[in-house]
Amino acid sequence: MHAGGDLLIIELGALVLALAVVARLARRIGLPALPLYLLAGLALGEGGIVELDASEDFIEVGAEIGVILMLLMLGLEFSVRELIDNVRRSTLAGVADFGLNFPPGFVAGLILGFDPVVAVLLGGVTYISSSGIVAKLVADLDRIGNHETSVILSVLVIEDLAMVLYLPIVSGVLFGGSVLSTTATVAISLAAVVGVLGIAYVLGDRLSAIALSQSSEALLLTLLGGTLLVAGLAGQLNISTAVGAFVVGVALSGDIVSHARGLLLPMRNLFAAVFFVFFGLQVDLSRMPSVAVAALAIAAVTVVTKLASGWIGAARAGIGKPGRLRAGAALIAHGEFSIVIAELGIARESDLGALAAAYVIILTLVGAVLYQFADSITLPSRRRRRVLGLGG
Amino acid sequence: MRKVTETDLPGVGIRFDLQTDAGRCVGVVAHQTGRRDLVVYDERDIDRACESVQLSEDEGHTLGELLGGSPVLEHLDDAVHRLEDLVISWVAIAAESTIAGLTLAEAALRTRTGAGVVALVSESGSIPIPAGAERLEAGNTAVVVGVPSAVKAATRLLGRPAD
Repeated sequence: MHAGGDLLIIELGALVLALAVVARLARRIGLPALPLYLLAGLALGEGGIVELDASEDFIEVGAEIGVILMLLMLGLEFSVRELIDNVRRSTLAGVADFGLNFPPGFVAGLILGFDPVVAVLLGGVTYISSSGIVAKLVADLDRIGNHETSVILSVLVIEDLAMVLYLPIVSGVLFGGSVLSTTATVAISLAAVVGVLGIAYVLGDRLSAIALSQSSEALLLTLLGGTLLVAGLAGQLNISTAVGAFVVGVALSGDIVSHARGLLLPMRNLFAAVFFVFFGLQVDLSRMPSVAVAALAIAAVTVVTKLASGWIGAARAGIGKPGRLRAGAALIAHGEFSIVIAELGIARESDLGALAAAYVIILTLVGAVLYQFADSITLPSRRRRRVLGLGG
Repeated sequence: MRKVTETDLPGVGIRFDLQTDAGRCVGVVAHQTGRRDLVVYDERDIDRACESVQLSEDEGHTLGELLGGSPVLEHLDDAVHRLEDLVISWVAIAAESTIAGLTLAEAALRTRTGAGVVALVSESGSIPIPAGAERLEAGNTAVVVGVPSAVKAATRLLGRPAD
């Protein structure tokens, strides 16, 4: 192999090994690893401790694959029917979540003097919690059985579905030209999304049966090839590769799902890490100090608004105050989607990258800690009972 | 059956909750993967799972049987079994009963109440699917099947007369 190739392999090896150290550290201190990968990316990027050059192209492609795999596996968890049922059941919680968490980012964008489209992106960044990180937190803390968990999961599903509409719209607006052509682009991409979901609903079972294979090798290649193809086409149509991959996951159902999960999980873990690192690499560290105050302020506001939206949703489901607090705390963590959205706007507003990176890191760490210790937070009306409880 | 609350967990499965008379709450999370979690809720914070035990599909079945999940064993103590809308009842034939000592054909229990006798149990043994000539001897037990109202009527006839 030529020298450049060797250098690439050396850089990659060192990077993955560094991530392994980060993952072990995260496990030891009980925090989600993904925001720490982002932190690692910041340290290795422009103006960071070490700069990676040789492997940057490879990492960029890896990051794209990371998004696609994360969203494919997210989609695998649901069927079209489940998604529709869920929206019907938890409409209010979903609307409250959007109404409380989109405005902080949007208004902050306007205050910071970003153009309105970028402000809409920042609104998206603050709106969307991380399904991946939250679901993992819930499982790791053994809280799947908790009553508020159904509320948490419902809100996350509605957010993910909202992204299926939001991403095509903002990409259409960002990359469209005149008002007329933008409207046309958005209309086409929305029609395409609805069309594909419709096809998924009608033909999902048959497609899944065709894709299923006894050979795990053949199945993996079919899944990966099919998903990359659909995601790429979706990207070309300005629907966003993430939405394309999510829809493929939703379309698949039946036996193939459990096989697919097992096959894709290790790849997903690797490439999701690469995705977070890559976003960190892109961010210019020298921009950090100038966005730090804004990031902290937006984070502080959305910690409160996310707590409120979880509280409202859980209260409506008849859950007691400690459970409402846990639901709110769980929703604080932000991640993959916030970054996918921020990436769209980096070309328009370079500060958006640094801002989103700082925001995601702060919120995810704060969220993880709050959710973990939500039970030790004393709520006013429960104080006496809690104190008694500590003795027993 | 007790009222069980069912809640969807999108992407995970379904959670079933049961509130006990003593004020505790227990639940089962049925994962799409077949895994089952047995959950015990906190007394002070009823929404919090204070104990959660992961069970494989097989372990879940075993535990279900131990807890009396099989319908035949379910209510043996009160000798009434419910199978959807059918009831099976063990009724001791009282000496005071107006039909004690009669044959099944003479008693015409099925015509009068709608419930049928599927077995007669005595100390010397039991007669499954008794013919019309078998007697309803006082002190023996009749196994009666029918819809709840019919079984109730038959129980009244066979048991002590309502006073």
